[in-house]
Amino acid sequence: MAHRAPASPGRPGSARPFPGCPVPAVLPAGAAWRGGHGLCGHRRGVADFVSFNVDSCPGKEPGAVPGAAGSRAAPAGASPHRTGGHVKMKNLYLFIAFLFIPWSFALAKYDEFEDGDDIMEYDDNDFAEFEDVSEDAVTESPQRIITTEDDEEEATVELEGQDENQEDFDDADTQEGDTESEPYDDEEFEGYEEKPDASHSKNKDPITIVNVPAHLQNSWESYYMEILMVTGLLAYIMNYIIGKNKNNRLAHAWFNTHRELLESNFALVGDDGTNKEATSTGKLNQENEHIYNLWCSGRVCCEGMLIQLKFLKRQDLLNVLARMMRPASDQVQIKVTMNDEDMDTYVFAVGTRKALVRLQKEMQDLSEFCSDKPKSGAKYGLPDSLAILSEMGEVTEGMMDAKMIHFLTHYADKIESVQFSDQFSGPKLMQEEGQLTKLPETKKTLLFTFNVPGSGNTSPKDMESLLPLMSMVIYSIDKAKKFRLNREGKQKADKNRARVEENFLKLTHVQRQEAAQSRREEKKRAEKERIMNEEDPEKQRRLEEAALRREQKKLEKKQMKMKQIKVKAM
Amino acid sequence: MGAVPWMAPGVVPGAVPGNGRGGAGGGGGAMADPRRPGKVARYKPPATETNPALEDPTPDYMNLLGMVFSMCGLMLKLKWCAWIAVYCSFISFANSRSSEDTKQMMSSFMLSISAVVMSYLQNPQPMSPPW
Repeated sequence: MAHRAPASPGRPGSARPFPGCPVPAVLPAGAAWRGGHGLCGHRRGVADFVSFNVDSCPGKEPGAVPGAAGSRAAPAGASPHRTGGHVKMKNLYLFIAFLFIPWSFALAKYDEFEDGDDIMEYDDNDFAEFEDVSEDAVTESPQRIITTEDDEEEATVELEGQDENQEDFDDADTQEGDTESEPYDDEEFEGYEEKPDASHSKNKDPITIVNVPAHLQNSWESYYMEILMVTGLLAYIMNYIIGKNKNNRLAHAWFNTHRELLESNFALVGDDGTNKEATSTGKLNQENEHIYNLWCSGRVCCEGMLIQLKFLKRQDLLNVLARMMRPASDQVQIKVTMNDEDMDTYVFAVGTRKALVRLQKEMQDLSEFCSDKPKSGAKYGLPDSLAILSEMGEVTEGMMDAKMIHFLTHYADKIESVQFSDQFSGPKLMQEEGQLTKLPETKKTLLFTFNVPGSGNTSPKDMESLLPLMSMVIYSIDKAKKFRLNREGKQKADKNRARVEENFLKLTHVQRQEAAQSRREEKKRAEKERIMNEEDPEKQRRLEEAALRREQKKLEKKQMKMKQIKVKAM
Repeated sequence: MGAVPWMAPGVVPGAVPGNGRGGAGGGGGAMADPRRPGKVARYKPPATETNPALEDPTPDYMNLLGMVFSMCGLMLKLKWCAWIAVYCSFISFANSRSSEDTKQMMSSFMLSISAVVMSYLQNPQPMSPPW
């Protein structure tokens, strides 16, 4: 067999007979071989034997190589090598022993695990770097580890390995890994599919990468939900402040516009009921962030007037968002309580059709006294948007005088409802049948509900447009005092009221009877108790006799009555 | 100049001031002053117990809801419950009437804040969205 030619014949000084052997064939002058000699007297490393680039040395004759048995892989065409002697054998045995140590470790680990899958993970550590395993194929292993769910023992270990590797490799790599895994046929690596890949990755990343929990990472981005929540809260608070201030400004604008008119008509403007003396506070009473009250009193005809500015809930963000779907407007509600002697008995209402329908259902007095549906006011020159509910036609005639019609036509868009009633008791109370023993208390009142123009987007200037409406209120107060029903009207009104009362009494007849019965029984029981408690037997007997006599008298009376009725019937 | 009461313009000394024409009426010819200081009635807040329908139930509902959510968040360690409780308590505060005492409002607010804090102390992971 011919020698392998030196790699670079042109350079005698640096001739390297073996590609893997760094030792020059010819020693420089003065140098001596140290250490043991290899097969050819040439100092060799372990690598020489693994890749088996052992070939004849230039200084030795080619011959059979008894030491070839010591090497594992024998490339084809390698020339046999002549044994160098027992020194060479000693070295060989040392080398074999050297190899045995990692081999034994691998074997030991073999025993630990029953699964064949894991054997290769630890076995090929030393040889992994010499195998042609591409990086991309490594990414295939995490996926394969995921799919092998049969391994119970090593599931956690494998998953950990997967977690470590998953973060390092992009999606592109895994896709590439699919194609690159083809050279590794199943036949070659039965059950050992992951081993070269896993060990390779392990060698590549000796540092285990732990999956850091999100809260320990130094990134605020993972807390995006919390940041959203806090931003929402801040937005809510901002809206609260802005809405509150806007409502405040609107209320004070209204009050400044109307102050003069009110102060010229009422002795007491502004009262919150807490002061000892009845002095004008001259301020609005803030009940809420969106409701302002004003109590005026001290005028002819009326007991007092309560003005409620019911603004939209601008301070509540939810309400603001709901209003974007359903537009609504601020309202001014005025309730004038009349003196008993200053108003005649009638029930009358004017307003938008929708509002009147709603009021007729809700309000006790309107539902009882105004049985007809709201009628159009076109007869009197009112616009179509307004309708009239009235107890009798005479009332309508009396109410609709020129000035009132003027008011109603000019400010029809701002009027929601106007209600004059002497039987006002508020909305219908939803009570059970048994509790209604008395008619609810009624008061003579005038009610006005006005819509502030702007439909939600009001500015303080819009409050000035409500001033004429206040004049209408004042005018109505005076008118209600002046208006008197004629005789016929009065009779009709009285009949109506009597009818309503009768109906009510009929409904509650049973309850009232039961109440009276229970009261009588209570009295009897109390008397019996007294008799029993009397210690003196004499007194007891006397009291008992008295009670008996009383009962007898009652029975006689009843019998007399029955006889009388029978006689009358006959 | 010294203002002697009986020399004040418009007031005849000896005349009864309370004859129904109160206030500084000034000269004649003006409309009768409608004001009657003697007939002043005090303001009585309308009793809301008789008219439960008129009351706005939002602050009470929101208060209750806030407390329920904060207890849920504390017991079941749900972060989103605690956050909703904070929102409910804010809404209840915004809609509250001035007559309501602030103690209840503050207590529900503190409870919701404590629910949020406790949820994060026990589990500092960020909240995961439900989708």
